[in-house]
Formats: sequence, structure tokens, C-alpha cells
Amino acid sequence: MRLVLAVIAALAAAPASAQYYAGKTVAIVVGYKTGGGYDATARVLARHLPKHIPGKPTVIVQNMPGANSIIAANHVYTVAKPDGLTIGTFNRNLPIAQLTKVDGVKYDMAKFAWIGSAASECTVFAIRTDLPYKTFEDLRKSKQQIVIGATGPGASTYDFPLLLKEFLGVNIKLVSGYQSSADIMLAVERKEVDGRAGSFTSIRPFIDRNLVRPILRARATEPGVENLPIDEDLAPTPRAKAIMALRSAPEIVGRPYVMHPNTPGEHLKTMRDAFAAAIKDPELVAESKKAKMDLEFLDGDFAIKVMKEVLSQPKDVVEEFSKYIKFGE
Amino acid sequence: MIEALFEGLFLVLQWKPLAFMMLGIVLGFWVGLLPGLGGATTLALMLPFIYAMQPVEAFAFLLGMHAVVATTGDITSVLFGVPGEAASAATILDGHAMAKKGEAGRALGAALASSLVGALVGAFALAIAIPMVRPLVLTFGSPELFMLAIVGIAFIASLSAPGVRGMVRGFLSGGLGLLCATVGQDPQAGIARYTFDSLYLWGGLDIVPVLVGVFAIPEIIDLAIRRSSIAGTLPAGRVSKGALEGVKDTFRHFWLTIRCSLIGTFIGIMPGMGGAVAQWMAYGHATQSARNAEERKGFGAGDVRGVLGPGAANNSKEGGSLIPTVAFGVPGSTAMAILLGGFFLLGLVPGPDMLTQHLPVTFSMVWTIVIANVVTVIACFLFLDHLARVTTVRGTVLIPVILVLIFIGSYTSNNHYGDILLTLVFGGIGYLMVVAGWPRAPFVLGLVLGKIAENYLYISVARYDAAWLMRPVVLMLIAIALAVIFWPLVQRRRRAAHA
Repeated sequence: MRLVLAVIAALAAAPASAQYYAGKTVAIVVGYKTGGGYDATARVLARHLPKHIPGKPTVIVQNMPGANSIIAANHVYTVAKPDGLTIGTFNRNLPIAQLTKVDGVKYDMAKFAWIGSAASECTVFAIRTDLPYKTFEDLRKSKQQIVIGATGPGASTYDFPLLLKEFLGVNIKLVSGYQSSADIMLAVERKEVDGRAGSFTSIRPFIDRNLVRPILRARATEPGVENLPIDEDLAPTPRAKAIMALRSAPEIVGRPYVMHPNTPGEHLKTMRDAFAAAIKDPELVAESKKAKMDLEFLDGDFAIKVMKEVLSQPKDVVEEFSKYIKFGE
Repeated sequence: MIEALFEGLFLVLQWKPLAFMMLGIVLGFWVGLLPGLGGATTLALMLPFIYAMQPVEAFAFLLGMHAVVATTGDITSVLFGVPGEAASAATILDGHAMAKKGEAGRALGAALASSLVGALVGAFALAIAIPMVRPLVLTFGSPELFMLAIVGIAFIASLSAPGVRGMVRGFLSGGLGLLCATVGQDPQAGIARYTFDSLYLWGGLDIVPVLVGVFAIPEIIDLAIRRSSIAGTLPAGRVSKGALEGVKDTFRHFWLTIRCSLIGTFIGIMPGMGGAVAQWMAYGHATQSARNAEERKGFGAGDVRGVLGPGAANNSKEGGSLIPTVAFGVPGSTAMAILLGGFFLLGLVPGPDMLTQHLPVTFSMVWTIVIANVVTVIACFLFLDHLARVTTVRGTVLIPVILVLIFIGSYTSNNHYGDILLTLVFGGIGYLMVVAGWPRAPFVLGLVLGKIAENYLYISVARYDAAWLMRPVVLMLIAIALAVIFWPLVQRRRRAAHA
């Protein structure tokens, strides 16, 4: 009986949303210019999503760069219509901007209609293979100074090693100002710096080439680095652990996809199903595998849970956190 | 080595890569002409099409498109004074001035011919440099890159008018450029500088809207005030002749063209210097070739050498910027970052292997740039004369068209109304500078080099304390910077002695 009801419900719902999306255009607003990971992920999705949305709408990518995606997030939150035709994908650290009360933030991350995340982004810490340290423990015990290159505050290249230095007592000299993570990699190659932190996706080609060796990671994980030690497990105090956990929490929702808060439930469900199906689509899997980007769908409800966890931190933790971490990049 | 060079050529000359290259060239041609539709965006749009292609075909397609964008971008710069791409703004100074003198055909001829020479020299220099390119790039650490930026800034001396007054104005203009480069979130402490609580300014001043404002707005005001065509009242017949003259100019100043090509290749190889830098340094070098004060004054007023220098550097840098991408996996520009994505799609791993095992593929890329340029330049010459005739169209008809180009060109850089405001504000500043006789070139040089200089200085000091000052290449570059600054003085002294 329940099965019959479900079938009837499905039959009733499908034509309605099929009519809704047929002939329409869905825009994915990316908070960055072309050429980066957020943009590349959105473009892969835009190619494969239409097959999985009833009515086969056209899906396009719109770049709206500026203020590390705050502009794009404000746009989707306040300007875009709640009609299920505008999807936003932004800097995963936007909840940090909200938490630390950055000027200009007009959105509430917990209130967006969350489709989910297309991937989790694991931060790893990698050092040159010609250094004598094989593991993170080797490095920590040696007390020798190690030079780590970074782009700037707010990026994982900067924040991750900073907390290692502050809480785990690693003797790190943090040199920031490199224009991109690729530029740091070149500095590693010419031995100007000894290593760097950053997303596993961006470091992996250099690990494969045996230039650097990963020795530590943050909580969010990906196949290939599961067995590395995790920074927060080594934290000496609960406070330190809380701060490290707060820094890494947004990485679980590494490629966030959201819509306007008032988007009707049926459109949200259509999109969640479409994303889940598209990311499992064998064609997309083959394509993303070639492009060396691992996509894995994470449901919107779970993403909201992570957002709420980040945004509900006690005041003293936030204050302590703000001493070290600034929103940026 | 030589074998790989020819193997690379034959790879490209198969019919399929060649056909894809032609397709890329046609696309790139239009993208370059239309300001706003950036080369990088087009590459990103075309990337999905390469899944089914072989590596050589895919790169022939993408690079063919990319190589042409810079060449045809010069055409908009010369004709309308609107930079088609951020990297083709230096051509405006003398190229558009020539168009106003009724020499649009000659300017276009010179720009295209020097582009071609630049592409050839760049490719040739690369072929020779490939065995030593890894050590070369690795020698240039942050201290060296900082000094390279300083050498670039030193070119302000030759971009300023002669005399104390001219020098002071030049350096003040350069200082303004450096100041403008500090706008945005700083990379050391994360503090927002000069952003006036505006989210738009967080990322700093975008170079395209600023350049469009500084160069295109004064031209359009000038055109509106003169109430004539761009080329004044000259008859159409005279304007369209002279493309051949421009080609001859390229050979008349052959060594200058070669030197500027080499500057372009070198800056291209250096990761993180950016495309705009190569062109302006080449322009600075071109002005040094003025033999006397009279000739120096001619720069900016339509000296063909001011077109040849940037034209040559513009295309030779493309070959150079392949190197950090191919050999280290470090892209020098957005376009190269997207190309790098293409590498992975094709199953190629950028790195040392590309200079040994896959050397023919690397050479096939260099050949693509060469062939794409030859084809474009020949195609351009077919209708160059017609293009040049645009400068005889009445201003009242042309102004709306150019305005559309200007605002679309600036708006598409961020799709934000801030782009338009920035263009208008810097348009106003640019106009005042022109009216008051302040040079605009030093301003741009300061703007494009400011951030590079700041970041690498910080890294050098943080990493090496004061010891970076004693590195041999740094000392060499300090000497070059001093030579660049004092060259105009020495030249004048010598001339005085002669007279």
C-alpha cells in the first residue's frame, strides 16, 4: 500500500517539476573567476546536471568574483529570487567570515537552502622528501626550524601551519606573500621553503612526482591520505583542539552548493536528487577522474549540521579563534 | 634535441591537429578583437571539447586560440585606443597616436609584423633554452624576482620626459601606481588597505578596468572634442595605405624588435611576473633607443618603435610562459592555469618529464604558437587596409560604438558595477594626466609591479633577513637597475660632448 502511495506521489510530483524546469535556465553563481577549483567543479557539474533534472533545463556557470566570495553569497542570499533557478557555490570558509563578524557579510550560512557539497577538501601538510623527517613526530621531536611558505591569512596554506606552530610546538618559520599555491610549490622546488600546507588536490601532483611527502592532515579526509595523523588528535588542550576543529570544519563541506533561503521545498528536493545522481553519473566520474578532482556528494542536511556546529561556538572560543585566524582568500 | 624539434613540428603538421588549430585561431581571432570576452574565459569554455582529442590536437586547439588573442588584441588598441586585453595596453601609446596622425595602416602593419617576429624569436630562444631552463627558473628565487620588479620600476626613468621636471613627474606618476597597487587585503597580516569598507576593493584594483579607464576614456573625450574622425580630416585613401610600410619598419629597427622579443621571452619564463609586465618593460626599452631629445619627445606621439617593442614582447612572452607551466606545473597566468587543467585531462603530468621524455609534445606547443601567429598575421594583412579605414569614420558615429566596447570590456572583468566606476574614476585621472602633461606609462608600470615587488620583498626579508642582498644574481640586477636609471643621463652627457 505504501509503495503504491509512493508511486502515485512520485507520478504526481514528477510532471509538476518537469514542467517547472523544462525550457528554463539554471545559473550556478561561482564566487571566483575562471581558472580555479570552485569554477572547474561548477563547470563539470553544469555539463552533467541537465540529464538529471526533470525537464532538462540549460545549466550555465556565472562568475561573480570579489571579496573571497562574500559578494556572490550576498547576491544569492539577498538579490537572487527563491525560484530554484539560481545556485551559489562559494568559498568554503564563508561561515568563518560570519562567525568572526567580517564587515559586509549579509548572509546567514545556516539559513541557505542547502543542496549539499560536491566534495570535501582535505588539507594536508607536506614537506620536501629530501628532509630527514619521515613522519610528523620526527619533525616535532627534532625542534629544528622548518620554513613553510604560504599565500596569506585566511588560506589553509597559512592558518594550518600557524596553529601547528602555536599549539603543537613545531618550530615553524611562516613566510607568506606567495601569489598562489603553485608559486609556493615552485619555492619548495628551489629550496626557498621546506614545505607547505594546502588542499590535497593541489598538492597531489607534487606528491606523485616525489617532490614532497605528506605527513599530517586535517579532519576532513579523502582517499589516499586516510592514514595520516590528524592535527587535532595531537592537540595538548581541549581549547587547542576546539580551535583546530573549528578551522577545519568548513573543509568537510568543501564545495558548498546552496540556493536562496526561501526556495520551495520541491525545487530543493529536485536539486538535491539531481546533484546526488549527477555526481554518481559514470560519465561525470570518468571525467572528474581524468581531471584529478574527486567528487563526492554530501547531503544538504549534513552540511547544515556542520554550519550550525561552526556558528554555535561559545563566545570565548570564538574570541580565542579570532586571535589566530582571519577570514581571507 | 634537434630531432625533438622537428618531431614536434611534424606532430603539429598532421591534418587533424592542423585543422583543430585553424578552428582555434578563428575563435581566438574574434575573442581578441572584442574587448571583454577574455582569453581565459574562452579557454575555460572550450576545455570540455578536448576530452575526445589527442594531446597534440588539444594543445593545437587551445594554444592556437590563446596565441592569437594577444595578436588581435593589438588591433583594438591601435584603432580605438581601447585595450582589447590587459596585455595589449602598451601598444596604445604610440599605436593609437599613429592612428590619429593618419598612419593607422602603418601602425597595424608594424604591430602585426613585430608580433610575428616576436613569436618566432620567442620560439627559437625557447628551443635553445630548454636544456638550461630548469636551472634558470630555479635560480630566480624571491629575492631575484623582487629585484626583477625593481628593474622594471627603474624603467620609469626612461618612460619620463627628459629634464628634472619630467623625471619628477615620471616618478610621482610611478609612485601613484605603486600606491594604487597596495589597495586590497594585504597578504601578511590580512589587513584591508584603502578599501573604504567596500567589498569590491578587497581583492585590489583590477588591472583591466583601470587600464581601460586610463587609456580609452581620455581618447574618447579627445575624439568628442575634436568633432572629427580619429585620423582627423585625412582622406580615406591615404590612411589605408602603409601596412607594408609598417612591415618595413620592423626590419628597419630589426635589432630593437629582436631585443624586445627576448625581453618578452625572459619575463614570460619568470613565473609570477604576469603578461602586462613584459609589454611595458619592452616599451620602456624601446624609448631608450631614442637618439636625442627630439626623438624622445616623439614617443607617445606616434613613434613606430613604440609599437614595435610591445608588439614583439607581447607574443614572444607566450612561448616563455609555457615553460613554468610545462616544466614545473606552475601556471604563470589564468589562461595557463586552465591549460594546466587540460594537461591532467589528457593524462600528461607537467614536470621535468615534459622536457625530456615528452619533449616533442612540448615543442609541438611552441610550434603551434609560431604557426598560429604566421596564419593570423597573413590573414590580418588581407583586410588590414579595410580595418584602418575605420579611423576615417566620423567621430559622432564611432563614439557610441567605442563606448560600448569600453564599458563591456571593463564590466566583464568582475561582472560588478564597481568595474564601471573604476573605469570612470581612472578615466578622469587619466584625462587630467594627459591634459597636464603627466606621463601615464610610469603609472601603469607601478601598478602592475607594485604587488609583485611588495610580496617578494617581504618574502626575501622574512626568509633570508639581510643576506638576500648579497646573492650574486641580486647584485647583478641591482647593477642593471642602476644602469637603467642613469642611462638617460649618460646619453645626454654624451650628446652634449658631441655637440
